[in-house]
Amino acid sequence: MSLLRDVLVEVRWQLARRARGLVGWAVALAAVAGIYVPFYPVMGGGELQAMIDTMPSELVAALGYDRIGTPAGYLTSTVFGLLAPALLLVFGIGLAARTIAGEEEAGRLELAASAPVRRDVLLAGRIIALHTQIALLAAVTFVVTAGLVVMVGMDVELRAIAVASVGLNLLAIAVATLTLAAGAATGRRAVAVAVGSGVAVAAFVADALSGIVERGELLETISPFSWYLAADPVGGGMPVLGYALLGALTFVAWGVALLWFLPRDLGT
Amino acid sequence: MTAQVITLEGLVKDYGRFRALDGVDLEVRAGEIFGFIGPNGAGKSTTIRILLDLLRPTAGTVLVLGTDPRAGGPALRARLGYLPGELALDLTATARQLLVHLAQVRGGRGAERIEPLAERFLLDLDRPVRALSKGNRQKVGVIQALMHRPELALLDEPTSGLDPLLQQEFLALVREERDAGMSVFLSSHVLSEIEDVADRVALVRDGRIVIVDDVASLRAAAGQRLDVTFRKDVPLEALAGVEELRIDGLRARGVWHGDPAPLLAVLGRLPIARIELRDRDLEELVLDAYRTELPR
Repeated sequence: MSLLRDVLVEVRWQLARRARGLVGWAVALAAVAGIYVPFYPVMGGGELQAMIDTMPSELVAALGYDRIGTPAGYLTSTVFGLLAPALLLVFGIGLAARTIAGEEEAGRLELAASAPVRRDVLLAGRIIALHTQIALLAAVTFVVTAGLVVMVGMDVELRAIAVASVGLNLLAIAVATLTLAAGAATGRRAVAVAVGSGVAVAAFVADALSGIVERGELLETISPFSWYLAADPVGGGMPVLGYALLGALTFVAWGVALLWFLPRDLGT
Repeated sequence: MTAQVITLEGLVKDYGRFRALDGVDLEVRAGEIFGFIGPNGAGKSTTIRILLDLLRPTAGTVLVLGTDPRAGGPALRARLGYLPGELALDLTATARQLLVHLAQVRGGRGAERIEPLAERFLLDLDRPVRALSKGNRQKVGVIQALMHRPELALLDEPTSGLDPLLQQEFLALVREERDAGMSVFLSSHVLSEIEDVADRVALVRDGRIVIVDDVASLRAAAGQRLDVTFRKDVPLEALAGVEELRIDGLRARGVWHGDPAPLLAVLGRLPIARIELRDRDLEELVLDAYRTELPR
């Protein structure tokens, strides 16, 4: 029980210090939904589809605009397939890189790690705090998007928006945990950022290319971005396997972090 | 309680190809204030950070309060207090929030001493750490290291950043805590800062212990510095026994070890214009030790 208490003390401390920054990110994510959703009645539907039809089909596929004419396709192309993950990934990667490696480089891990707390508990507290913040931002994205969809009368199921928001959350958590693991393993913030953003960009590019190159299924199989979106959650798909893979990636990253963080020298 | 609070035998620490500690042997006794003196980069912080299990030794034996830090884990660290050499605090919190949190990590131990210690050191607890000067941040570090009354305090360069008045207040607090049963291991790159408070000191250089002794013996070994000017030429034999003798016209300077009475008796018969015989700074002894390769 005291282990759980130690984890909670760490989680609360991490969250208390980040509250203000989190509000800014919540506003940014709300703005993404706020900018795109209300314009669907103006932009969306047949006219937009007519314009898309004049573009080369490979380009359209790469941009993920192939179904932009439908409400679910529009929402995927703008919010869930582009800006929301971009923002949430930038947030998650930045925070994850600071959480262990950044703190360590600044010398601030010294007091935390010399306190009577186990290293795996310290790591767990910080990972859970990271996940909590990402989940809060994903929840904000869901609430604002769902609210606006209802207001403008877009034909997208709320359940589907919820499923997509869960996927958005799982994707950002997986990449952020991977980032944190790279930082915990090396103690170098730059390495953590490079690993996190490298994986994020590669996943996005692989997913974009999967629709236009031969053997694209292979890319879809290995891209965490595809695990999130390929089954079309906004359109009512239920990406059970993809979400399970994102969850698995998170736990593998956590395990890697433990494996490297526990035995190594801190702050050298 | 064990007789030794710290036991190091053949402690080696490598960072890649660089050897930071090259076989350190050291014993710190329960209830003493032990000074660990050496220039920057000599291995002081590395040693302290091994005691806290922040670093893992390459070779050798480490016992802290009778336990290997690696095996002792949180239960052992609960009995220690630590002031890092390069203190980096969370900038966003206030001093009070940070200290309360650090007490909470220790199950609440020490929380009741935050106020009185802050008052004693004139620290404003409600200012954000960001707005505190280096000296004030150091006070936060001192308070968190000692508030929970650890059995053993590991203080890395504790007086750095404190003005002389606060240094005295800090050393007084360390003495009080020692009298209440705490053992103290504190490092400094200047002996003079801690010679008044330390019972014994070790000098470390290039990852090795050069001298371990009590401060009184060190002072005796340091000897006294002689500076005498004569009115006219005197025979050089009068200055027999003076080491590091330098003659500069009618002025002679050197180092005298042991009882000064015989020297003064000889000099007293000579025509002296002025004379000074004073304790050498321990600092000079430290420099001696660093210059010469002492047998290990």
